[in-house]
Amino acid sequence: MSKLLNSIAGWGVNIAIAMTALRTNLMRSILTTLGVMIGVFAVILAVAVGNGAQVSVTQQIATLGSNMAIVVPQPDSGSGPPRSTDRGRLTERDGRAILRQVSGVSAVAPQIRSSVQLVTPGRSATTQATGATPEYGIVSNVTASEGRFLTDGDVGAAARVVVIGQTVADKLFADANPVGETVRINRVPFKVIGLLESKGSNLGNDNDDQIVVPITTLRQRLQTTAMQGPDDVTLLFVGFEDEDSLFTGQQEIKRMLRDRYRVPKGRISPFTVRTTTEIAETTGQVTQIFQAVLVAIASISLLVGGIGIMNIMLVSVTERTREIGLRMALGAKRSDIRNQFLVEAAVLCVIGGAIGLTLAVLAAAIFQQVADFPAPVGLDTAIMSVAFSAVIGIIFGGYPAIRASRLSPIEALRSE
Amino acid sequence: MTAPLLETHDLVKDYVIGGEVLHAVNGVSLTIKRGEFVAIMGASGSGKSTFMNMIGCLDVPTSGTLLLDGIDTKTLDSDALAEIRNRKIGFVFQQFNLLARTSALDNVAVPLIYAGLGYTERRERAQAKLEAMGLGNRLQNTPAKLSGGQQQRVAIARALVTDPLMLLADEPTGALDTQTSLDIMGIFQKLNDEGITLIVVTHEPDIAEYAERRIIFRDGRVIEDAAVKSRRRAVAG
Repeated sequence: MSKLLNSIAGWGVNIAIAMTALRTNLMRSILTTLGVMIGVFAVILAVAVGNGAQVSVTQQIATLGSNMAIVVPQPDSGSGPPRSTDRGRLTERDGRAILRQVSGVSAVAPQIRSSVQLVTPGRSATTQATGATPEYGIVSNVTASEGRFLTDGDVGAAARVVVIGQTVADKLFADANPVGETVRINRVPFKVIGLLESKGSNLGNDNDDQIVVPITTLRQRLQTTAMQGPDDVTLLFVGFEDEDSLFTGQQEIKRMLRDRYRVPKGRISPFTVRTTTEIAETTGQVTQIFQAVLVAIASISLLVGGIGIMNIMLVSVTERTREIGLRMALGAKRSDIRNQFLVEAAVLCVIGGAIGLTLAVLAAAIFQQVADFPAPVGLDTAIMSVAFSAVIGIIFGGYPAIRASRLSPIEALRSE
Repeated sequence: MTAPLLETHDLVKDYVIGGEVLHAVNGVSLTIKRGEFVAIMGASGSGKSTFMNMIGCLDVPTSGTLLLDGIDTKTLDSDALAEIRNRKIGFVFQQFNLLARTSALDNVAVPLIYAGLGYTERRERAQAKLEAMGLGNRLQNTPAKLSGGQQQRVAIARALVTDPLMLLADEPTGALDTQTSLDIMGIFQKLNDEGITLIVVTHEPDIAEYAERRIIFRDGRVIEDAAVKSRRRAVAG
């Protein structure tokens, strides 16, 4: 027990010696600490941004709606970008067939997507229009926060009505209530019937920068890219009752589409059926790689900081060779000398780490405010980084410290 | 009968310089008893400093035996040697070797850190030794704010703080003026009177006359080892 107390007191002495030495060369200590500080700052921020990206992706997937499959008329290209060649066709009739024949399907939402220009007196905006049916609201969890969403009546009559996202509303109507107002979409006047409930933004992708019009209206009045048939759609959202039916349903839809379009055996199907689960997994992997790359780059700066520590500790040992000799003459063991310099390096690193951590927390908060991007710094990250910087100190301070402890007392004393 | 404080048998220290072997200390056998005041003299290169470093356990002999307080130093590892330096030997250097920007009190307390003493006890003991050296009003002064004589007295306090068996002083007056040198020798004589063994390396014959025994080195060997005939006293009692 008293031995333990003594050893704690011994470390306290070492910390006191280290603080004195560091104060003696204050400017040098600050510059050295700066290296570790920047390193720790970079690593924590990289981890935080990576975590933020993952949170963001999870939210993004959630806004798509759960237990949903997306059918697009192009061949599956794995996790890479979709290929535009070999484009197949997809029709509302296919959607109805899926609803009828595939078990567990709760709703099918056919959609046509098109880029449009909106104009109100004195203002304009460009955004993406989704031509949809009321099922779109059900499947992808979209509702109107003001006014109302599309109805079957709107679709049947190809009514010139539009539900607009918050971002679009801000651009076109500023603070005024847009519901009931008229907006010209590609020069055609539309009546605003509702405001989409805000879904925020993820990864710089604004979910509120869109408008929804009846699929029939879009086809008749706003379509800019020609479709092959009057019934063609850009994509289908297929909602399922639960996760199990989503799993089996995905395969059923694939088979069914091959049959309907008589795709010969061995040919790649011109359709891709992706579930939201798969999308979440793929994007999750991508963000993990993104985070790993960020952290790797940041770690290099921490490594450079560590090398800075080693450099300055070597200088310090050389400068204080005589002091080392004196301490040995006065009874310091090799381990005492080694610990003295180890503690000095660790103190430099821990101070740098603590400041770096503080700055990173501040930067993450500012980033969150300015860029509207979550960058959470967890307690685990904080503890890990400070511990990590102490380890850096011990690793990079270790060699100079051991070198100091191996000096011969008499040669150290003789040095000038 | 206790063992002599220091006993050397055929002590040798070789250095290899440019492929040639230099016998810095070339077979020295002598005994120093407890309570002696010994002056070691010799020209530079005579081997006196090398001998001093070996008996101070700062350097290890190439061959021969060194018994310190009855212990054969050959059998000791570097930690045990450090402990001997800490507990049994006090060093006084020509250039004082105080830690800069460190108070007299903290300087004197350094050996006690390595002796494993707690903060309060370190400070109390260091303060007592400084007061005994007449520096009770200089505890918080850094070396830069002390005169040469005061600095050397701080160094002596530091050498004494672990209550060692012997004091090894290497040219302790080399950086001091005549009067201050006399003061330091007076302190040494007083300490010797109180029972501590003193070994002083010097090249000044005057200084050696304060000791009671004079050993003269030349070319790594002892050429004279005799009592000082007309011993000087720096202070009364």
